[in-house]
Amino acid sequence: MESWPLTEPVLLILLSLAEQSRHGYSILKDVEQMSDGRVVLSTGTLYGALRRLLDDEWIERIEEEDTPRGRQAYRLTTRGRKNLQLEVGRMKHLTRLANLRIVVKEA
Amino acid sequence: MLSLSIYRSLLRLYPALHRERFGEEMVAVFGEMETDTVSKSMIERAAFWIRETAGVASGALKEHWRGLGFDSIGLWFPQRRFTMRTEFRFPKTTAVLMTIILAGVVLAIKKGETISSSHVNPPIGPLPPTHSVLLGGIFLTLAFFYAVGLIGWAILFAMRRSGVHRLAETSGGPK
Repeated sequence: MESWPLTEPVLLILLSLAEQSRHGYSILKDVEQMSDGRVVLSTGTLYGALRRLLDDEWIERIEEEDTPRGRQAYRLTTRGRKNLQLEVGRMKHLTRLANLRIVVKEA
Repeated sequence: MLSLSIYRSLLRLYPALHRERFGEEMVAVFGEMETDTVSKSMIERAAFWIRETAGVASGALKEHWRGLGFDSIGLWFPQRRFTMRTEFRFPKTTAVLMTIILAGVVLAIKKGETISSSHVNPPIGPLPPTHSVLLGGIFLTLAFFYAVGLIGWAILFAMRRSGVHRLAETSGGPK
């Protein structure tokens, strides 16, 4: 299972797949766009993360006929979506806590 | 294309299983990314190649490491700078290390019992058998502390008192 909290690249990959199913190149581009060019994944990093997410059944390959092997698409599984929601909830909580602490400190 | 051939060669660093599973996809994605860099500056293209080479090398290393039964090499290459483990984990490594150290001590005592030397005056050894009596005591002490540690861990685990609860208790707003 992925360790918690998720790393930023993994989180961005999951967010990318949360919107729609994508193939590798599309994921890379979307991650770059979402992070304003701050996170640029290499193919090695991407497929390392995809392998782990596939093994943990957070994502799945979409079986499509007439699709070349180089254009395999991926999508979130129910489990992956649930875990992503949990992670986003955790981050929201942390942000709220951080805001509270900062406000207290500044007051 | 030469760049694709070079990239294919780099992929040989991966375990065969990984290559079989993702190799073609990785080559295809690399091809598309490489096409994007054609219109870019030499520096950007160099950065792209460095990133890809490093990504493949570290990815291959991780996959080989995983193949050996370890899931991560984060200890040596800490890429998860901002990650912290919130799960309550039993200190298995410590327990194993302590057992290994104990085995070493026991082995040394056993060895000491059999060593004798007649070259020194007065002759020394073997160790009096009374020393081996200590072994029983050491084992009992170790078993006692293992049991205490295990019970303590089980209680904490049952209460989930790993520190995560503190975060959950801070959700209240300013009063």
